[in-house]
Amino acid sequence: MRDRKFVCFVLAPSFLLLFIFVVFPLFYGLGISFFDYNPARNHNPFLGFDNYIKMFQDPIFKKAVVNTFIFGIVAVFINIVVTLFLAQIISVLPSKRWKTVFRTILFIPCIAPMVGTALVWNSGIIETDGGLLNRIAGWFGVAPKNWLMTTGALMTIIIVYTIWADLGYNVVLFSAGLEGVPTEFDEAASIDGAGPVRRFFQIKLPLMGRTFAFVAIMTMANYFQMFAQFRVIAPKGGVKYCAMVLTNYIYRQSFTNYDMGYASAIAMALFIIVFAVALIQNKMMRSDWGYE
Amino acid sequence: MKRKGIYKTYHYIIIAFLIVFCGIMMFPMVWMFLTSFRTNADIRMNKTSILPEVWTMEGYVKAFTQAPLMKWFLNSILITLVLTGTVIITSTLIGYVFAKYEFKMKKTLFVLLLATMMVPGQVTMIPRFLMIQKMGLFNTQWALIIPGIVSAFGIYLSRQFIADIPDSICEAAKIDGAAPFAIYWRIILPNIKPAIGSLGIFTAMMSWNDYLNPLLMLNDKEKMTLPLALVVFSTEHTQDLTTTMAAATVIMLPMIIIFIIFQKQFIKGLALSGMK
Repeated sequence: MRDRKFVCFVLAPSFLLLFIFVVFPLFYGLGISFFDYNPARNHNPFLGFDNYIKMFQDPIFKKAVVNTFIFGIVAVFINIVVTLFLAQIISVLPSKRWKTVFRTILFIPCIAPMVGTALVWNSGIIETDGGLLNRIAGWFGVAPKNWLMTTGALMTIIIVYTIWADLGYNVVLFSAGLEGVPTEFDEAASIDGAGPVRRFFQIKLPLMGRTFAFVAIMTMANYFQMFAQFRVIAPKGGVKYCAMVLTNYIYRQSFTNYDMGYASAIAMALFIIVFAVALIQNKMMRSDWGYE
Repeated sequence: MKRKGIYKTYHYIIIAFLIVFCGIMMFPMVWMFLTSFRTNADIRMNKTSILPEVWTMEGYVKAFTQAPLMKWFLNSILITLVLTGTVIITSTLIGYVFAKYEFKMKKTLFVLLLATMMVPGQVTMIPRFLMIQKMGLFNTQWALIIPGIVSAFGIYLSRQFIADIPDSICEAAKIDGAAPFAIYWRIILPNIKPAIGSLGIFTAMMSWNDYLNPLLMLNDKEKMTLPLALVVFSTEHTQDLTTTMAAATVIMLPMIIIFIIFQKQFIKGLALSGMK
C-alpha cells in the first residue's frame, strides 16, 4: 500500500526520537572523547587524541578489555551448553506438567532484578562470615576466605552468578526451538538406530539453527554489556582490577572520577568491540536451515 | 499422570537430576526469604543454620518504616505501565508501516533502525546523561520514559508478525474506504495479539528490572524505582542483614508470584520473541 502522509506521520517523530537518543549521543560521545571534559567546569580544554593515547597506555583499560572478553566468551559458552542441555532433557520428559514445573523454577531468577539477586549472593553466598561458599569449603577443611579479595575466584563467582541469574531465559527459547523441530526426523533416525546424543547433535541442533543463532547473538551482545552484577559484587573492580569490565570502567571514570572525556573514549572502544563481535557472529552464524 | 506406561528409567533419572538442580537454583531465594525472618543476633550467632531460631517480622517493620517502600513500588509500577503501553503502541504502529506500506528508502531506514539496536546503552550513557540534564529532565521520571518511547527491538518483532497478515486483507479494507488508522486498529492489532503479549512482557521486564538508567538519571530517594532503591537501601544498612533481606524479599516476591500465576503466558510470550 502507499500513503505518503500516513507514513511520514508515523515515521518522522519516531526516527526523530531515535536520532535524538541513539544516533546523536553516539556522535556527541565521540566529540566529548576529544576533550578533557568535566560537566561541572566551565572550560573544558580540547585534547585531540590524548584520551585515546592515554587509553592504550592504561593498564586498567587493558585489563578491562581482557576481562570483558573473558566474561563474554566464557559465560556465553557455558550458558549455551548448560541451557541447551537443560532444554533438551526437559523436552524429552513425557509429562507436560513436569516440563512446566522445571521451566518455571529455572526462570524464577530471571524475574528478579539482577541487582537484587546479586545483593542476595553477596550476603548469602560470597560472604566471608557464614556464606554458603565458605561453608562448603569448610566441609573440605578449607579455611574461610574473603572471596571478594581473591583475584582468581572473583570473576568465576560472577560468571557462575550470571549463569544462575540468566539461564531460565535461554532454556525457554531453546525449548521453543526444540519443540519446533518436527518429530518425524527424530523418529526416523531413532528407527535407524541413532542414539539420543547423536540424534541431538546431528538432527535437532542443525534443524533449530535459526533459534540457536538468535540465542547466541542475543546472549553475547547482552553479556558484553553486563553491568549490574559487577556494580554490586565488585564495584571497584576487585583486587588488581581482576573483575573490572569495560561497562563498569566507563561508569567509574565518568560518574566517580568525572573524567567524562576519557570515559567517552573508552565508550567508543566498547562500541567498536560490541559491533565487531556482532558482525563476526552474524557472518559465522548465517543460518538458512529450513525443514524441507 | 494418566499415562504411566510411557515413563522409562531414564525419565526418572532426568526428573531426579532436575529436582536436585532446581533445588540448588532456588537456594539463594530461599536463603533470602528465611534470613529476612531472623534477628541479626541470630544470624551472627548461628552460622551453621539457615533457619530462623525465632521467626520475627522485625526486618519488615524496619524496612517499611525506614524507607519509602510503597513510594518505590508506585514509581516502578507507574514507569513500567507507561513505558510498556507506549512501546506497544509505537512498535506496532511503526511495524505496521514497515510491513504494509511502500515508500522511498524503506530498506535503508529499516537497516538503520536495526543498527540502533547494536548500540549498547553504556556507550551512549554519558551524552544521554548530559542531554537529559540540559533538557531539565534530570531527576524526573520523564528521563526514564522519553528515551524509551521508541524501541527498535519492538518494531522489529512487530514487523515480523504483521508481515504474516495477508496484504489482500489490508488492501480490501483500503478499497472499502478504511483509513490507515482504522486498518491498524481493526485488522492489524487483533491479528497480532500473541506478539503484543510477548512484546509487553519483554518490555515490562526490561523496565521493571532496569538499573542503569535510574542510576544515571535519578537522585532523589523518593523518585527511585525498586532496583536502584534496593541498592541504595542496602548500602545504608550494611550491618543490618535482616532489614536488607526483608526489603529484598518485599521487592522480589510480588513479581515472582505474579510470574508463577501467569507463567504459561509469560513463557509462551518470551518463546515467541525468539521464534521470529
